[in-house]
Amino acid sequence: MIGYHFGRGRARLTPYLLLIPGIFLYILIALGPSLATTVFSFTDATGIRGAPMHWIGFDNYREFLFLGQASRDNYAALWRTLVFCFFVTTIQFGLGLLVAMLVNQRLKGTNFFRTLYFMPVILGAVIQGLIWSLFLYPLGGPMARLLEFFGARSEFFGGQPTEAFAWVIVVQIWANLGTTMIIFLAGLQTIPEELYEAAQIDGASSWQVFKNVTWPLLTPSVNTNLLLNIIGSLQAWQLFLVLIGYRNGTQVLGYLVYAQGFGQTSGSVTSAFRQGYAAAASIVLFLLVLVLGTVTQTILNRREKRIMG
Amino acid sequence: MRKISLTIVLSMLVLSLVLSACAGPATPAPSSGGETSGQPAAAEQNITLKVLVHQNPPMVEFMEAFNQKFTEKYPNIKVDMAVVNANDLSTVTQTRLTANDVDVVDMFGFANAAQPYMKNVDPPNWQTLIEAGYLLDITDQPFVKNYDEATIKDAGTYNGKVYQVNLGRVSYSGIYYNKDLFEANNVKVPTTWPELVAACETFAAADIPCMTAGGKDGWPIFVGAYGLTGSIYPDQLALVEGLWTGTIKWNDAKSLEMWEKMKIYAQNMMEAGASGIAGDAAPGRFASGAVAMFPGGTWYASAIEDAQPAFQWGYIPFPGSDNPEDNKYLFGKYDQGWVIAAKSPNKDAALKYVAEFSEPANYQEFVNAVGFIPTQPGATLDTQIGKEVAPYLANFRVGLEQYWVAPKGAGQYANPWASYFKPFGTFDDPKELADKVQADLQSGLDANK
Repeated sequence: MIGYHFGRGRARLTPYLLLIPGIFLYILIALGPSLATTVFSFTDATGIRGAPMHWIGFDNYREFLFLGQASRDNYAALWRTLVFCFFVTTIQFGLGLLVAMLVNQRLKGTNFFRTLYFMPVILGAVIQGLIWSLFLYPLGGPMARLLEFFGARSEFFGGQPTEAFAWVIVVQIWANLGTTMIIFLAGLQTIPEELYEAAQIDGASSWQVFKNVTWPLLTPSVNTNLLLNIIGSLQAWQLFLVLIGYRNGTQVLGYLVYAQGFGQTSGSVTSAFRQGYAAAASIVLFLLVLVLGTVTQTILNRREKRIMG
Repeated sequence: MRKISLTIVLSMLVLSLVLSACAGPATPAPSSGGETSGQPAAAEQNITLKVLVHQNPPMVEFMEAFNQKFTEKYPNIKVDMAVVNANDLSTVTQTRLTANDVDVVDMFGFANAAQPYMKNVDPPNWQTLIEAGYLLDITDQPFVKNYDEATIKDAGTYNGKVYQVNLGRVSYSGIYYNKDLFEANNVKVPTTWPELVAACETFAAADIPCMTAGGKDGWPIFVGAYGLTGSIYPDQLALVEGLWTGTIKWNDAKSLEMWEKMKIYAQNMMEAGASGIAGDAAPGRFASGAVAMFPGGTWYASAIEDAQPAFQWGYIPFPGSDNPEDNKYLFGKYDQGWVIAAKSPNKDAALKYVAEFSEPANYQEFVNAVGFIPTQPGATLDTQIGKEVAPYLANFRVGLEQYWVAPKGAGQYANPWASYFKPFGTFDDPKELADKVQADLQSGLDANK
């Protein structure tokens, strides 16, 4: 029989006491605001403390989902969010794995490259945005000059909505690739060297080694990365704000929440702050993340059980 | 024993964490605001006055110099001025006012109060801030009398009380033009739309970009084409009412003319790459001499002069109409004004700050620096931009966006913006865009019937 690790009597309370700070912080930072957002979504809150606030039932949800052309624009933003999520997740995942495998080689300079690839992660969205705005400046910026060399030109973030949107995908991947790489790298380094040696002795090709050794044993990292990428890309909004601003045909749900909450949708610098409505929009976003996250996690857990036992 | 000690230590650690998290922020000692004013001890107390302004390079430069002067006069008051992008001003204002983290704020003039014909709209942010008690009632402050009555009434008053002193009007429906390029290419300063089109064609033939603007920020393209909307609908308040009540439509014959011209403006007149230029980089681009014209607000004049002091430029109303008489209007807005946080612990210092700023000599310097059309009767705009706009001041009109409140449910295209055209947007056909804009607006109007 395994003894109780923390002893007997009052000492049995120790784990609960240890949990208190974490639970307290969770309630303070995560659960509390989430519950408050749910409550606000049923009001006409402006976010101004002391301003009159009324309980309006499901009006915000009705407006978001069914009122006029604005609701159809919201569905377009929702679809755009899914497109953004698909491209960011698949490319970031694939590229992250590739880069992790490259910097996992016993070659000179791998530490330098690990740092280089991870560096964007530590920069804030504003700095990331500034770097790319300068890099993609259409009137003589480095990328514009490069394109000019090949006889091409682009407006980058100021171009057509589809083009601007695609560039935000590029920046989002660049900004978060380091995290994906590091998680894969950690996974790769837990795979025992003997397995590779055994595979080599058996005459396995590089592809067979990857398919039968690396990929199955990376399952926990694959699961973590997929979930983080999906959730992270569904919630993305800062780069849209910094790189494009409020522009028709480019908004994703996360940015729509911000724009509605802080009066940036009508073009007037003095427009109303609709934080009750924004709260309803964020609940819709939350439900989207919840459904996609849960489905993904269920599928990944089943796969992990099948592979890892 | 060891386990008991560990438990005690951990318990104390947890307790201290909980207590420290529950404790509120350290309460600052009351400074010389409100009730404490007049007491010598309080007067000597060091105060940090927090001021929030929006990004406008010449204004920021002036404010830095003014703050220094103010601190010299009141050595116990240190001014901590934050500068934010104009698009973020209302967000930061709300956040800092509700957090009681700001004393004096630069706020745009009050114009777009909800009108009786607007159904089911949310009041603008400034109105909510006043109703929630965040802005100080300054009706009885002596410095309010330094400003002209009309401005105080139009841009600073709500429900009979004054909450803002507005510091100036700006026009945004004009075009800066490069005198040297006009002369070198034998181009006459345009006073009608056909003349403007012809001028651009001449410059294009000489391989000179006709116009530039800060397309990356979006709004400079809309603002730049203001003359087109204004020349067709000179009474902008009536336009707002007409759109809300259905007597004016964005796809009627009159409006269609505006969209057709906007297409030419966005696609033929703007230089390639303008969509990537940031709003505050555009004056520098124009001052470099590479572009013939720059449609934009009067606030850009100082930035142009700073970038190239010897640069020769002029400023004309955007000639949106074929009739020169219709092109003599300047449209614009009440720009920044000072409001004071009602819950500020530094009210006295904040009032001193705004009073000092409102001193005629200081105000005159401010007007000279930023190029605002003055709102103090004794002040004059002695700068070049002042001289350029002087002939049109009698025809100054407040623009649509200052009055406009969108109906709930209206689509994202329910605005008269030239930036919907390619390359800034996705539309190419004026009729198709006009129908889309009206449909998006109508959708909101119908939803609120």
